[in-house]
Amino acid sequence: MYGFEAMTFNIHGGYLEAIVRGYRSGLLTAADYNNLCQCETLDDIKMHLSATEYGPYLQNEPSPLHTTTIVEKCTLKLVDEYKHMLTQATEPLSTFLEYITYGHMIDNVVLIVTGTLHERDVQELLEKCHPLGMFDSIATLAVAQNMRELYRLVLVDTPLAPYFSECITSEDLDDMNIEIMRNTLYKAYLEDFYRFCQKLCGATAEIMSDLLAFEADRRAVNITINSIGTELTREDRKKLYSNFGLLYPYGHEELAVCEDIDQVRSAMEKYPPYQSIFSKLSYGESQLLDKAFYEEEVKRLCLAFEQQFHYAVFFAYMRLREQEIRNLMWISECVAQNQKTRVHDSVVFIF
Amino acid sequence: MQTSENGMESTNELSESDRHILNFLDSMDSYLILMDSLSSALRQGWLELASARHSMGASRVSSALFDLKSHNAPTTLQVNNAGPDVEFPHFTLCKWALSSDPEKRSEEAKFEEDEMLQNKSNSPRLQHPELQESKAEGGGSPVTIGNQAQKERLKSLSMFGALVSPKLRSTQLSFEKALEALVEISNVRASLLCAYDQVQKDLKNTT
Repeated sequence: MYGFEAMTFNIHGGYLEAIVRGYRSGLLTAADYNNLCQCETLDDIKMHLSATEYGPYLQNEPSPLHTTTIVEKCTLKLVDEYKHMLTQATEPLSTFLEYITYGHMIDNVVLIVTGTLHERDVQELLEKCHPLGMFDSIATLAVAQNMRELYRLVLVDTPLAPYFSECITSEDLDDMNIEIMRNTLYKAYLEDFYRFCQKLCGATAEIMSDLLAFEADRRAVNITINSIGTELTREDRKKLYSNFGLLYPYGHEELAVCEDIDQVRSAMEKYPPYQSIFSKLSYGESQLLDKAFYEEEVKRLCLAFEQQFHYAVFFAYMRLREQEIRNLMWISECVAQNQKTRVHDSVVFIF
Repeated sequence: MQTSENGMESTNELSESDRHILNFLDSMDSYLILMDSLSSALRQGWLELASARHSMGASRVSSALFDLKSHNAPTTLQVNNAGPDVEFPHFTLCKWALSSDPEKRSEEAKFEEDEMLQNKSNSPRLQHPELQESKAEGGGSPVTIGNQAQKERLKSLSMFGALVSPKLRSTQLSFEKALEALVEISNVRASLLCAYDQVQKDLKNTT
């Protein structure tokens, strides 16, 4: 019953909600980002991060540092925190936490399959996988020749199995099929996550519906923009959009026929939440669209913490940390390439 | 009379040597401008690559996805060596496997269309670019060549996925521009060295 979570939530979820709120207070502030943006070298960045919660993860890294090392170590911190929460969680929170990682699992599956198609070494590919998306039989993906084998040999025993029903064929895997598979899997995952959150009811359902709807809408826009100029047909593009969200179904009808960024803008400006995003861009421009979407996402994720006794804080925390890691990656790249004037192109402040 | 003839000859020689020096200085100027342009294009390309990785995710833009299978190079370099009619070697970039023979393009397109029809299925598919090309007449018109180049660009990027961010496409264009600058630098350098040799010869003749 919505509004009465305060009576029972803390029995099973109180400890972990306190933990995640503690983790949230460790997110980097604007002052931290200002210091980082003024660094001259990656060692300076390491020195500044040593005063934050990332310190223990970077302190033993030898110089010269590389940007991928910084990202890898910061990701390890997130993984440790996630695993601590997962081991302490009971149902249905444990299932909720597992859902958060299925996106990374899909990315890892696609990485292994694509890399194998390109005759890359499996061990090299495994090192590039996101740690949150790992599962036991992931290395076996390399032996599959088509999607049917992929499903039968490996994925049938993973949480991704239910998402394969829409894309199982006997066609050999190639770059095109893999891209379709990626987007179809992610669509099925988002819809499944959405249904799960709806079943949880209460504040979790309300807040997660908003966050997942935004995610679905953003994916629809990205798929549209990325497919402009390719041979993906309108019908096939529309099949990749999720069946929920603010844009469903009429916005999707318009996006499916867009041929350039200005038509995408025209379709999106009919929806007030997205009108504010596109108002930040000049006509014909798409470079700053990612940053505008990230800023909107961060705003919504921070609002999730304003309410208690729901699971959306866990989702919000994970996403905010991932945004922080993206910020650190961008700052590191700008410092390493001596392009500090461009640092604010993609950094999204969280607080 | 003989003195004036000698005077005219030395005036002509001076004009010739001035021309060689001017050629050398012009070549040097072009060389430096192109080097600056190359540096700028490479800086832009690397930053855009970082931006594409930021946008698409590190797992989608990674050296682990490079295709190690044998395939034809989409871009080649032709070298015309120096000879009796050519003062210095000339480098030409052939971008995006654009064949000069329209018949050869049509044959390749038809073969790939047959393969495409054999693999037809009901699931969403990206139509193969050559299916569109087979409908176009082989004639080498600018629009056809432009479309072909664009399709080859997308094909090269497909190792990162069939639906890539516009930032990755910008990266590709920046590095393409850098490659063109590099080839132009090679040509200018060849003419620079030739002009330098001329100037050296002139100096030896005057001393």
